[in-house]
Amino acid sequence: MSDPWQECMDHCIAVTRKAGEMIREALKKDISVMQKSSPVDLVTETDQKVEALIISTIREKYPSHSFIGEESVATGSSSILTENPTWIIDPIDGTTNFVHRFPFVSVSIGFTVKKEIEFGVVYSCVEDKMYTARRGKGAFCNGEPIKVSGQKDITKSVVLTEINFKENLDHFKTMMCNIQNILTIPVHGIRCPGSAAVNMCLVACGSADAYYHIGIHCWDMAGGAAIVTEAGGVIMDITGCPFDLMSRRLITASSRPIAEQIARQIQQFPCGRDDEESS
Amino acid sequence: MADLWQDAMDHAVAIARKAGAVIRDHLQGEMTVMCKSSPADLVTATDQKVEELIMASIMEKFPTHSLIGEESVSAGQPCILTDNPTWIIDPLDGTTNFIHRFPFVAVSIGFAVNKELEFGVVYSCIEDKMYTGKRGKGAFCNGKQLQVSGQTDIKQSLIITELGSSRDAEVVRHIFSSMQKILCIPVHGIRCAGSAAINMCLVAAGAAEAYYEIGIHCWDISAGAVIVSEAGGVLMDVEGGPLDLMSRRVVAANSKSVAERIVKEIEAFPAERDDVSEAGSA
Repeated sequence: MSDPWQECMDHCIAVTRKAGEMIREALKKDISVMQKSSPVDLVTETDQKVEALIISTIREKYPSHSFIGEESVATGSSSILTENPTWIIDPIDGTTNFVHRFPFVSVSIGFTVKKEIEFGVVYSCVEDKMYTARRGKGAFCNGEPIKVSGQKDITKSVVLTEINFKENLDHFKTMMCNIQNILTIPVHGIRCPGSAAVNMCLVACGSADAYYHIGIHCWDMAGGAAIVTEAGGVIMDITGCPFDLMSRRLITASSRPIAEQIARQIQQFPCGRDDEESS
Repeated sequence: MADLWQDAMDHAVAIARKAGAVIRDHLQGEMTVMCKSSPADLVTATDQKVEELIMASIMEKFPTHSLIGEESVSAGQPCILTDNPTWIIDPLDGTTNFIHRFPFVAVSIGFAVNKELEFGVVYSCIEDKMYTGKRGKGAFCNGKQLQVSGQTDIKQSLIITELGSSRDAEVVRHIFSSMQKILCIPVHGIRCAGSAAINMCLVAAGAAEAYYEIGIHCWDISAGAVIVSEAGGVLMDVEGGPLDLMSRRVVAANSKSVAERIVKEIEAFPAERDDVSEAGSA
């Protein structure tokens, strides 16, 4: 029986590669930066151009499909996930890294049908690493199979997260407290590379044992979620409950014991949901 | 006038490349991990083997020179910098990254004469990036000249630091306090990549505006210091004075203004100097 979504995935990989080339070209020139929700929430013309390219290319081939794209949502498009085949797009994950030319910058695309992730593609374009995963078919980096580290002992693990300024002081303090709690378990180390999608791929290929984050978006996670799961990892909500793509938070890890240990250590703070109606 | 130390630098580049190949090779195999000063201060047989390889190679060609190497010092060798030409070696900077196959692992070789750094070589071996800097001759990565970022507005800057290998509650408290104050300036973000030598090269390459840390060693920063400086950056102590290679502390930045602003927020804490004598005199 043929795979109904393989053609979509092949198309996705091709457009993602083109998007990555556009980003690499933009890195050679001056980058002008705008702010979105705060002085540390950045966007550039390249984010917008790349998203427009991806959506128009896909829409030409699949006019009935739906889209949730970071920059479209920023200008008022809906971010409600329906049963319709849906492309969930982050044109540049790691915009701050892009602005600074810090090496972790990716294009992330997750594809859902009936609200279930069918495949994910994450292209870490400065490194030229194309991560892909089709549900039930394994995860790959540049065509080579990848798998999680398998580490079950948190005291031998490297954990990824991000350290961001937050205007809400309570949220900021909780974020810092969480990092401190994890560090002093103790773990081997904490790394903050700056791109959620790349972080998930680093867990998927065994270079890190866990990644957790409160405050990201569905477009940051949709591509990586398939890749980590197909690489043998686990993904869950920060409370230990099942993963919720619209919840703006996740823990992903090489094993359930590590994920659960992290869930026990971290406290939540409100981060909204991607499918909240805006007031 | 012939360049006195070019020969030594060419040798450093060649041996760093060889060492990097050994490290890449060992990434595929089993690793035995040992702890040094804490459960997060790790060392492997590869660290030791690579240091032996580098030192043997240098001693054969430059038998009168002095050597300071991380693993030799761990095994009891003194860590005193004299006027003699001295190679300051970290055979594997980012051992935790190496163990986890996280992509930032480097060989770092700095060279000092009359206690002044003459050149530095940092080979980021998984990325295959050879960073070099020679006093007065610029800094390069794979032959391409490096220039620090021109960003002087601290609120538009990206800062690199590390959470370190100490799990002592007081030390951790100071580290988090500094980080918190810097984040709230606010800066664009903080990154933690796991290798001091590579962090310094990222500043030299313009990928971040500053890197600071307390707790590193002279072998982590001696090569990177030349590379940053030759790329147009500045080096400073965490309390604002000149960089002291043996002090266990560093600020490397694209500009004096960014460095000084960071220094204002850093909460210093004690770290035993690298050149403390065995007699333990102050």
